[in-house]
Amino acid sequence: MSLKFIKPGMQTSIQDAGRLGFMHQGISRSGAMDPLSLQLANWLVSNPLNQAAIEVTLVGPTIEFKKSLSIAICGAEFELTLNDEPVFNNEMINVNVADVLAFKGLRNGTRAYLAIAGQLNVTSLFGSQATHLTARFGGYNGRQFETNDVLEFVSTRKVKERVLPKDYRPTFSGNYLLRCCEGLEAKQFDQESLDAFYDTTYSISVDSNRMGLRLEGKPVPLNASMGIVSSGLVQGSIQVPPSGLPIISSVDGQTIGGYPRIANVISADLNILGQLKAGDKVSCLPVSRQKTWQYLEQKHRFLNALLSS
Amino acid sequence: MTKLSNINTRIQWNGDSALTLFFDKEADEDLTRHILSLAEVCNSIFSKKLIEAIPAYQSLTLCFDLQSIETDAIEESIKAVIDNGITEIATTTSRVIKIPVCYQGAYAPDLEYLAEYCKLSCDEVIQQHTQTIYLVNMLGFLPGFLYLSGLADQLHCPRKEIPSLHVPAGAVGIGGNQTGVYPVESPGGWHIIGQTPISIFSPNAKQPFIAQPLDKIHFVEITVEQFEQLKQEQA
Repeated sequence: MSLKFIKPGMQTSIQDAGRLGFMHQGISRSGAMDPLSLQLANWLVSNPLNQAAIEVTLVGPTIEFKKSLSIAICGAEFELTLNDEPVFNNEMINVNVADVLAFKGLRNGTRAYLAIAGQLNVTSLFGSQATHLTARFGGYNGRQFETNDVLEFVSTRKVKERVLPKDYRPTFSGNYLLRCCEGLEAKQFDQESLDAFYDTTYSISVDSNRMGLRLEGKPVPLNASMGIVSSGLVQGSIQVPPSGLPIISSVDGQTIGGYPRIANVISADLNILGQLKAGDKVSCLPVSRQKTWQYLEQKHRFLNALLSS
Repeated sequence: MTKLSNINTRIQWNGDSALTLFFDKEADEDLTRHILSLAEVCNSIFSKKLIEAIPAYQSLTLCFDLQSIETDAIEESIKAVIDNGITEIATTTSRVIKIPVCYQGAYAPDLEYLAEYCKLSCDEVIQQHTQTIYLVNMLGFLPGFLYLSGLADQLHCPRKEIPSLHVPAGAVGIGGNQTGVYPVESPGGWHIIGQTPISIFSPNAKQPFIAQPLDKIHFVEITVEQFEQLKQEQA
């Protein structure tokens, strides 16, 4: 009862909703970079929404199944084939023993999630099965998959066929608007710096990863007097280092930060970070904190509507 | 009962789901104890609503589950906790932990540079580094990374302008006014003056972390032979 990686892809790893409650020990959240796509893939195969699945990044794997089962893929859109026949995102797919699933060219987005109807055989560490790639623990031997790795299942289940309704299918254009609330040190930036930050369309740097997304473009002017004492760094924090080029902290980011935070990507938009890749364009839109809570509420309602459908 | 309200405390939102409390007092053992005590109280009062309580030198960051709190009232709730006063955690929980460090050869690639910068001999750097008992203020940055205070003024040295891409697990470094041990291999900008053969972070162990805040760290010099022997015992 397993699957085998004929090709591993660029950075393919086990991820779930991440580990909570260990940041005071330096353990960042880890988990899916796009938790919404993870949840949708799990929904398609009738799993608990936050269950561990396979996160695929930019260059996808080729997988051989050693067991008949149901799977689903959500998030970034790749050219997908099952035994050389096309298959698609956003619907439950039945696979048979010896079937080969190949992720070919990436069409849009950055990360896809492959869920199986059942449970992966990976142990839980610090409250999660996610691979902590920077500290090398959790998931499959604490690392991303390599050629010939065999991933075992604890169980598989027969599930009813599901297709994701149109409204829930994301589109990844490569141009994104990130809604932001005020950052912890935003008041230390003068109006000129804030204007420069919110007026700039940035490109995602090639040096971006699960720790953070680096932005390229016009540097944010900094005044010399900015001094901060390191404090808890939350996901979505946008720090401005001396270069003036902002860095957005993500799931594998540091737990304590030392650069001033100009803004913070709102919770409702954090999943977008998982779909950003080098060259994508982002601009930031300031919203009030009150609004951010409404947006999150809307998002929960949106997901709940699917669950009760 | 101690009143944290004696310390001027500023509460600020940190993103849309966390608040950071800043304490207007110098970072020392007393403040660290205050912060840890407050974190413990918040964990018990807010329970599952509180996802993370992240202590730092002069702050405590509280991350909440937005779905289970009244966002408009949370700031007031935190103020009430502070005003009510908190019971300090016991002082007896702190330990002195010895970390063996080899300050020689390939284990100490930046020792000579640092010694020269600090206008000291390598032996003087080692002597200064090993004679201080450091306080663990907090863990953070990387899993199990210890933020230590107490580095001798003579050993302060600005970070590298270009960080090294691969600093090995166990590397002991100095950056600015800080010293510490890299728990896992990572990029890093500190000057590496030694290496410990023991694990600072062991995710599968019953006690994954070598130390906790308020513990004290004592670096003890070992030879290359001792390093290799200890390394083998760990494996």
